[in-house]
Amino acid sequence: MKLLWLEIYKTFSRWRTYIGFGFIALIVILTEVVMKLSAVEIVNRMMRSAQKDFLIFGNVLNGWFVTAFIMNSLHFHIPFLIALVAGDIVSGEATSGTVRFLLIRPPSRYRIITAKYVTTLFYTTGLVIFLGLMCILPGLALFGSGDLIMHQYGKFGIVFIPEVEIPVRMLFAFMAAIWSMTAVASIAFLLSTLVENSIGPIVGTMAVVIVFLVIGNFPFDFFSALKPYLFTTYMVFWQRFLDDPIPWQEIAKSTTILGLHSLGLFFIAFGAYARKDIKS
Amino acid sequence: MKKILLWLVWVPFLLSPGLLQAQEEAARSLDALQKKYSGLKDYTVDVNVHFDIEGFKAPDMQAKLYCKPPDRMKIESKRIFFLPKEGGTFNPSMFNKEDFEVKFLERLTVEGRNAVKLRLTPKKKRRNGQDFILTVDTDRNLIREMNVSSFEGREVKALIEYGHFSDFDLPTRIELHLDVPFNESREIRDFGQSAQPAKRVTGRVEITYSNYKVNVGLSDKIFNETTPSKLKEGS
Repeated sequence: MKLLWLEIYKTFSRWRTYIGFGFIALIVILTEVVMKLSAVEIVNRMMRSAQKDFLIFGNVLNGWFVTAFIMNSLHFHIPFLIALVAGDIVSGEATSGTVRFLLIRPPSRYRIITAKYVTTLFYTTGLVIFLGLMCILPGLALFGSGDLIMHQYGKFGIVFIPEVEIPVRMLFAFMAAIWSMTAVASIAFLLSTLVENSIGPIVGTMAVVIVFLVIGNFPFDFFSALKPYLFTTYMVFWQRFLDDPIPWQEIAKSTTILGLHSLGLFFIAFGAYARKDIKS
Repeated sequence: MKKILLWLVWVPFLLSPGLLQAQEEAARSLDALQKKYSGLKDYTVDVNVHFDIEGFKAPDMQAKLYCKPPDRMKIESKRIFFLPKEGGTFNPSMFNKEDFEVKFLERLTVEGRNAVKLRLTPKKKRRNGQDFILTVDTDRNLIREMNVSSFEGREVKALIEYGHFSDFDLPTRIELHLDVPFNESREIRDFGQSAQPAKRVTGRVEITYSNYKVNVGLSDKIFNETTPSKLKEGS
């Protein structure tokens, strides 16, 4: 436990750790202010199709919608912020020359790598929770509350989520987002154990995420066949909590697949770290 | 040859009085409708909208509707409220005969009452222009059915049931049958998700009206905040 706190302390002592928090704070506040200033235009654009057939009244552009909108827009950028820290957490020791000092101390390599991995997950969780708080609190303050209108993912349609259900659904959605980002953090963590500089794991993680996303979104049969085997396909399963009805079976599948990815990647990292040669 | 020429002259001559009479009846029906509701200055009513539309998952929505013919309307709702544009509100003054080319289509009976079917084409052509086919109960001067079709391919059919409130027949239930094209808005699409092709959406919307308060002297101030401009276009 002491080792874990030490790792957390080390991680949060670096300025790099706060880049992600700073970026999120800046971009979310900027987005919310711009959305507030262009509220009418956004609502008109958003509801353009529905406005042809319906007169729409009420607070459509509310804090919950803004939160879902920002999450939709940012969930491809958050992996980069996670990779910034996760990609550095092991390789940073090599870069700074402390790896030998660290590995000749009494705690076993297994305990060290586990503590570093848990620290990575702690940072990942903290970053997503921070994103959630930054979206929801100023969002509700600026835009007020109300029912949530969501586009139903992968199908044609619109879903209304009553206001009373939204806080619980959002909580689950953010928990799912943390779970998804854990898989990304695990990739960065694995790459971090394999190399001795921090740039490689950060760039490598982003390369994996971007390539998988591009492959997964190509409208060709060949790539469509690959889609179920790409972890990025399941990364957006947080959106399922904003469906109606909530597709629990699909959520369970995504949770399991992402969990197995994270576990698998950690065990590979675990093995790689155990065999790491620190003499050369 | 002579016989044919004779028929060509006589047949339109024989038919034209009937046609003229039918056109007059069409205009008379609209006039009667206007006259019937000329005393309706304003009303408030509680509205419940039930959606049964493919791909449109929404709970029943409730609101209070304030209406002041010919073109003022306000909705008061604590929650988000969707009201169908075509047929969602009762506004008899929207069918002013001066604004339409009225064509008589047929005589028929609706629930044992005499009725006429009329086609109304707006004189002012708009980009999303609409044609209305009204079935008017001529015994009670009520619009019983309204079919709206627009150049964009929107088809809406409204079946209207009435109740009697303070000397006026006002709708208690409007059943709408929608068959409309729907293009997905880019703004509500998920990031990275490709657009889906436009498709037609079909479904039913049931609007029930209760607790009418008629001619209560609604102030214009009430409408200043949220009167939707599109209602003023007569949609």
